[in-house]
Amino acid sequence: MKRFAPYLLILPGGLWLAIFLVVPMVFMASVSTQEGDVVNGFVQTFNLSIYGDVLSQYGTQFLRSAGYGLVATVVSIVLAYPMAYWIAFRGGSRKSTYLLLVLLPFFVSFVLRTVSWKFLLADNGLLLSPLKSLGLVPDDFHVLQTTVAVIGGLVYNYLPFMILPIYVALERVDPRVVEAAQDLYAARRQAFTKVVLPLSLPGVFAGVLMTFVPMTADYVNAEILGGPANTMIGNIIQSRFLVNNDYPSAAALSFALMAAMLIGIFAYARALGTENVLEAAAR
Amino acid sequence: MHQDSSLDAALLRGMTRPRSVTRRDAFRLAGLSAAGLALTACGVQGKKAAPPQKDAVADYWASKKKNGTLRFANWTLYIDKEDGRSPSLEKFTADTGIKVTYTEAIQDTPSFFGKIQPLLASGTDIGYDVMVITNGIHLSKAIALGYLVPLDHSKLPNFAANAAEKVKNPTWDPNNTYTVPWTAGLTGIAYNPKYVDEVTSVNDLWNPKYKGKVGMMLDPQEVANFGMFAEGIDPDKSTEADWRKAAARLQKQRDDGLVRKYYENDYVDALARGDIWITMAWSGDIFQQVAEGKDIKFVIPQEGGTIWTDNLCIPKTAQNPLDALTYMDYVYQPKIATMLVEAINYITPVPSTKDLVLADAAKASGDDKKSLEQLANSPMIYPAEADMARLRSFRALTIAEEKVFESVFQPITQG
Amino acid sequence: MTETQADVEAVAPAASGPPPVPAIELDGVVKEYLAHGEVVQAVKGVTLTIAEGEFFSLLGPSGCGKTTTMRMIAGFEDPSRGTVRLHGQDVTDVPPNKRDVNMVFQSYALFPHMNVWENVAFGLRRKKVPDAEIKRRVGEMLEIVDLGGREKRRPREMSGGQQQRVALARALVNRPRALLLDEPLGALDLKLRQAMQIELKRIQREVGITFVYVTHDQSEALTMSDRIAVMNDGLVEQLASPREIYERPATAFVAGFIGTSNLISGTVDRVEDGCAVLRLGDDGRVLTEEGAHRAGDTIAVTVRPEKVMISTDEPAAGLSAVRGTVAEVVYLGLYNSYAVRLPGGTEVTVFQQNALDSTSTAERGDAVWLSWRPQHSYVIGS
Repeated sequence: MKRFAPYLLILPGGLWLAIFLVVPMVFMASVSTQEGDVVNGFVQTFNLSIYGDVLSQYGTQFLRSAGYGLVATVVSIVLAYPMAYWIAFRGGSRKSTYLLLVLLPFFVSFVLRTVSWKFLLADNGLLLSPLKSLGLVPDDFHVLQTTVAVIGGLVYNYLPFMILPIYVALERVDPRVVEAAQDLYAARRQAFTKVVLPLSLPGVFAGVLMTFVPMTADYVNAEILGGPANTMIGNIIQSRFLVNNDYPSAAALSFALMAAMLIGIFAYARALGTENVLEAAAR
Repeated sequence: MHQDSSLDAALLRGMTRPRSVTRRDAFRLAGLSAAGLALTACGVQGKKAAPPQKDAVADYWASKKKNGTLRFANWTLYIDKEDGRSPSLEKFTADTGIKVTYTEAIQDTPSFFGKIQPLLASGTDIGYDVMVITNGIHLSKAIALGYLVPLDHSKLPNFAANAAEKVKNPTWDPNNTYTVPWTAGLTGIAYNPKYVDEVTSVNDLWNPKYKGKVGMMLDPQEVANFGMFAEGIDPDKSTEADWRKAAARLQKQRDDGLVRKYYENDYVDALARGDIWITMAWSGDIFQQVAEGKDIKFVIPQEGGTIWTDNLCIPKTAQNPLDALTYMDYVYQPKIATMLVEAINYITPVPSTKDLVLADAAKASGDDKKSLEQLANSPMIYPAEADMARLRSFRALTIAEEKVFESVFQPITQG
Repeated sequence: MTETQADVEAVAPAASGPPPVPAIELDGVVKEYLAHGEVVQAVKGVTLTIAEGEFFSLLGPSGCGKTTTMRMIAGFEDPSRGTVRLHGQDVTDVPPNKRDVNMVFQSYALFPHMNVWENVAFGLRRKKVPDAEIKRRVGEMLEIVDLGGREKRRPREMSGGQQQRVALARALVNRPRALLLDEPLGALDLKLRQAMQIELKRIQREVGITFVYVTHDQSEALTMSDRIAVMNDGLVEQLASPREIYERPATAFVAGFIGTSNLISGTVDRVEDGCAVLRLGDDGRVLTEEGAHRAGDTIAVTVRPEKVMISTDEPAAGLSAVRGTVAEVVYLGLYNSYAVRLPGGTEVTVFQQNALDSTSTAERGDAVWLSWRPQHSYVIGS
């Protein structure tokens, strides 16, 4: 009995994953190669060519999504790192308060937050109206329904997922190690680039995983803040499912997206694996 | 995350307005998990149902008895309500002895369809005896899959007597075999007169003066209809070649940078905020904006507008079909229809209610009087005959046609 | 404080010419910080001088200010008042990376993302030493600390003792003018600690660098140091050689903190031949040669337990002699420890070596005489 105890521990989680992740995935994989329509029913024909079809048909949206995800991830790092750094090293006894502030938007529904952006960024809204009346921007200037709005929305919605892992990594950096670097003739900047930064890279790595993936698959921001030329692959999948009831192509798109992301992440992990990054940083 | 759709823009407005605002689904987020997984996981092994034989209709209804209960699934905010009770339903119970369980079960068609479809496919009771479904892809699928009970028109005398000719015998449901309208709405053009000169033609949506300030709809059938109106094509009689012509027109509109966005329900906010000046719009939304005092105009363009209908129908798993049928006829009494139209602010299928609304207005005073008069005189609730003549429906599409249709129009709205 | 000055002069090997510049000088250094809105003084004014090549320890209980004092030498803390000089140069406002001292941190603070070689080379790289020289010096240093062949290891793959030696090498390879060690052996077990004490002393002799050693372990400080500053409550209580600190504690605190000692106070009865005699009880007497006292003065003296003899016979004249009752006898192998209660209630600890026979001279409850020589009674300043 004792020998099986560790397996019993993973049983609930394992079952959960099996039922709610693996089983639907298998169904979806099976659906993706079926042919037919919702009225006449779908028949399994192992139609693998659908993958090629949807990829060529929606290649633009695929690339656009990856591009948005990439830019939004980079912007997130740039915004999140100093914030996490400040909280970790200068937060003092109020660290948890600051972290709560970072998480505060999570207490508001995702969609509501994004919708509130619409009001903020409206053509004659809180932000642009004063700028326009001051003549700082032209009258026909707008932010909504632009790429900037979509990427801005993505960054805003996923920023805490970048801040938290970086914060955790920075928090774990022993201040004495930083002092040791200074003691060994490193100026403040060198102490940061040679010691603090490399030691926090695992946090950045985790943050990238936690933001790039959902950002790339996101559709709410493009839906609410985007315009005709900002459709992301998530929007396509959603409408293939719900508007067109074209389950095979929707499933195929989902799987293609998943595969592309997995490949991308493995490549990223290999190229920028934390060990390798640390080796490079030590030089 | 998907459940958040209940907090979407439409609901925000719904919370600040009296009634029936969330009519058309804003973002179809809610449906993705529910509809998508439910359908695919069970595998939609649908079978096309043959049109019912006359005998079959008679056979079905012959054995049905009144049970004294009715379970009604409707959209949110889509019936008369006072202090949480519905006078028209209470009157129905008083008049017929049928107790009604009323549920606001429908937020948007795809997710509702997704929930009931597996049950209907397996013949399990969905928990409702009557429900409201908008004409369009899902209703057509429900009919084609044999999910709906054919109606016994001998038991629908009020419908026969009082329903507007325009709503009878729709293309998607010939002879009202399965459905009768609950309400209808129009798709026309709304604009802000502060920025836009008087609009009469659908071509104003292509006017370069309004570059970047034009709203179009995301729904392929809605946007396609307007493309066809611009090309002088009647959607009901359109062919694939017509679709391509309309699509080219719409594509050019997009490529020229005229279109700010292809909207779902959120066009109303964009219009109210000034993000767009002129847009395709649904009559009920705009009526409410105007009732709130916004300076917004609604027109049915001279080339044509679209009429769509929300329809009462009986699922094949209904436990109380005769009670359902009784209700479907009951609401076609002008008095009852008047109670409904005064609350819902969409087009009633019973035109004779207009006089009754005016009569109510005469009895009322103050704001009530004003709003009732506004209702009776609004072309958005009681379209003029000339307007009605220009209205077209969505083209009923076969599954094969639907695929072509969507492949023609969707790339425009989802570039 | 006058004694401190005397010591410095005694240690400084000023044979001829101008005296050499001291490695480290602290002059009236004070460190204050705010805690919960109140000013707290961690260091209340420390003045000391550490000579070139000296093994110098800062010894004291936790919270005495010894680590803060060392961090001010390293540059991690700015003194609120006072001056820090390294080799005659005022470095009070110089950041740590520009001070020519290196530190071995408590728990080592090795760079976890670098291997041994990279850790050791870190300082030389920052100083832009040519690669070839870095290679040579790191290699040599790793040999000195006996870590040759482990260059590629990561700190977490090494034992505590090995990490300790990496930390030492990382600091020493830079050939600093002084090496600061903050409780460097605290994390090691007893055996390893004793081995490392010898090792450290060897390395210090080999490289000839000034070591400043912070510890709370008195035996460690006594073993290794040339001189020790005993700190308490932000002040230096005594600064002297290990022998002097032990034999001749200047204050009650030092007496109590270093080893075991007995504190006896009384009133001077008379002075004979420069020897003050305290009367204790009916027939007890304590003799001390120290200081100029007059009859009627109240003074306190200490005496180390191993200096006290225990007997049943009355001791000879010319010795301190007090009567007492044995309260406890503990057999400790090398010696017996007696707790003897004096008539006034004071308890005196006595160590008696088991040199002749292992049976104890007295048992619990026995009445005994304690005696010691006058030169072993040290008068404690207040």
